Amino acid sequence: MTLSTLTRPWAAISWGFLDASAKREMRRKMIKAIAVPGCQMPYASREVPMARGWGTGGLQVTLTLLRTDSVVKVIDQGADDSVNAASIRRFLSRVSAAAETWDTLEATLIQSRHRVPEERLREDQVLVLQVPNPEPLRPVQPNMSIARQMHADADYGRLWLVLYEQMVRSGRIMQGAAYPALVNGRHVMTPSPIPRWDVPKLHMARHLTFLSAGREKRLYAVPPFTRVEPLVFSDVPYKVEDHADLVCHRSGLRGVFMNEIPQDGGGSAFEASDSHLGIKAIRRAEGAATTIGPMWYEEGRFRP
Amino acid sequence: MAYVATRGGERAIEQAERLYREALGPITPERVAELRLALPLLVDRVMGEASLYDPDLAALALAQAGGDLYEAVLLLRAWRTTQPRLTIAEPVRQAEILTHRRISAAFKDIPGGQILGPTLDYAHRILATEVMEGETFTPAPVTPAATPAPARQPSLADWQRANGLVADPPRSEVAPDDIPDVTREPLLFPASRAHSLQSLARADTGGLLALGYSAMRGYGNAHPTVNELRLGEAEVMVRHPSGALFSAGRVRVSQAEVTSKGKSGLLDLGFCATFGWNEVKVIAGATLDLNASGAAKGSPVEEEFVLYHTEPVEASGFCIHFKLPHYVTFQSSLDALRGAKTAEKDEVPA
Repeated sequence: MTLSTLTRPWAAISWGFLDASAKREMRRKMIKAIAVPGCQMPYASREVPMARGWGTGGLQVTLTLLRTDSVVKVIDQGADDSVNAASIRRFLSRVSAAAETWDTLEATLIQSRHRVPEERLREDQVLVLQVPNPEPLRPVQPNMSIARQMHADADYGRLWLVLYEQMVRSGRIMQGAAYPALVNGRHVMTPSPIPRWDVPKLHMARHLTFLSAGREKRLYAVPPFTRVEPLVFSDVPYKVEDHADLVCHRSGLRGVFMNEIPQDGGGSAFEASDSHLGIKAIRRAEGAATTIGPMWYEEGRFRP
Repeated sequence: MAYVATRGGERAIEQAERLYREALGPITPERVAELRLALPLLVDRVMGEASLYDPDLAALALAQAGGDLYEAVLLLRAWRTTQPRLTIAEPVRQAEILTHRRISAAFKDIPGGQILGPTLDYAHRILATEVMEGETFTPAPVTPAATPAPARQPSLADWQRANGLVADPPRSEVAPDDIPDVTREPLLFPASRAHSLQSLARADTGGLLALGYSAMRGYGNAHPTVNELRLGEAEVMVRHPSGALFSAGRVRVSQAEVTSKGKSGLLDLGFCATFGWNEVKVIAGATLDLNASGAAKGSPVEEEFVLYHTEPVEASGFCIHFKLPHYVTFQSSLDALRGAKTAEKDEVPA
């Protein structure tokens, strides 16, 4: 017996980039995160060949979930060919055999920064959201060790106070993206800076969502069929962005979340933020055979 | 497809990277070797922040990053984290370090002597402009001392301990394999001593300086005296599977111990050590360590504040991430802002 028969040939990097010990830790923490929905699990968060704050947390989860038959979609602000999404997708296929796609319906694994696709996700799909700041309590308690204690005590009074103060000062809740939500009736999480439009898509969903912050070394999960309830007062309903009646000037789509494009001479045009959905709508209008899946929103209303 | 034509991110990022690399030119083994030779202290700094002792790879990272320190540290860290850990070396003890330089500001003379070693501390900082006129700046030769300084020096704190000046905390014997490793576990607070010292060792030099300096100026509670500053080389002693201890090589290390009068009537000590020779870093780090105990939550010298904010890869990465598009979040805020404005108008009809 020689040494070479006992080991595999040397390779510059492991399959899926992360080495086996890093992946083992990730799997353990991901399973814990599923077991306690919405609860932040600290993890080692290895360095990856991308700068911190650029999706390294999501990347580590995606790399751990990658299989040879995975089909990955990566979006940034809804767009597949946004520069950083393109870079992450290229990295994923470079270190594994995973196939790439832009189509939400084809993807088995979707890594996203700040959006949930407009087409409904299925039970065979996993959504990985990149998270800049995993701590919903950060605005009221910047100290992470104290915030951790507050979660343990379910001490969320100061978050409610912030929302109440916004009502008093501005006449409405001013929280934009990253609207805090109570998960499974126990832990408040930040859904990452997805717009309010996207938060209902996590509630009692068929798919599994991982949220991972690489720089802050925390990951958490929303398992399928788990309650995700935005913090609202019983007499003040949750309000998504007022985009229900906007029309995409490129694709004609209506009732999806929009990007506002300022126009010369004042005024704005709107385009669908889910860029590949926009492409599919254009193709369909041109008569090409295109499948658009069932949507979360119908005629601008969220369909539970 | 009109929608796609206006984007084209994949091609753009490829060409942008090419533009950057083209400006740096080809990276050759000669360039890397020259960098290692010409910039040993920069190589040291990068190795310290990357927690990877390999001057060749550090020089390569500097060459590849064109001297951008944060990029170089990230390159090395991302490489390091994929490497298997074969073994854990024996602890390095102060009295065994092959010492090049060791000074104390606390006493005029100390057991073992004040060893200046290589330093620019007392040099006049005059730019050698004659080099730009074609002359070679040739350093004057060193005259060896009549009696060479001993290669190994005792620790001053040992003397202080023997004289009842510093507390002698009980030592817990931890097997090397059980020492917590901050590169394999998350940093949580209150942090273990091992995690604190490891985090200081790999902290951003500039970050430690900024916060350490704030402590020195008065935002901390303790004024440091440099008890001992030491630059040296440490043997990396590892155990062969046959059981024999052997040296796998030497690494340059620096360490600082600072002290101030504690509340208990004894001297408090603050400590910081790192790979490579980096005096500013270890003095600032030791000052922060000295100030950490009892600091109020959220104060600039409190451990959680210091260690989270001096992590070079995390801090620099988050800073540059603001270049990424944020138009979805912005759109969401805009919507709330407009909603509030409309509500205001409705309340006060013109």
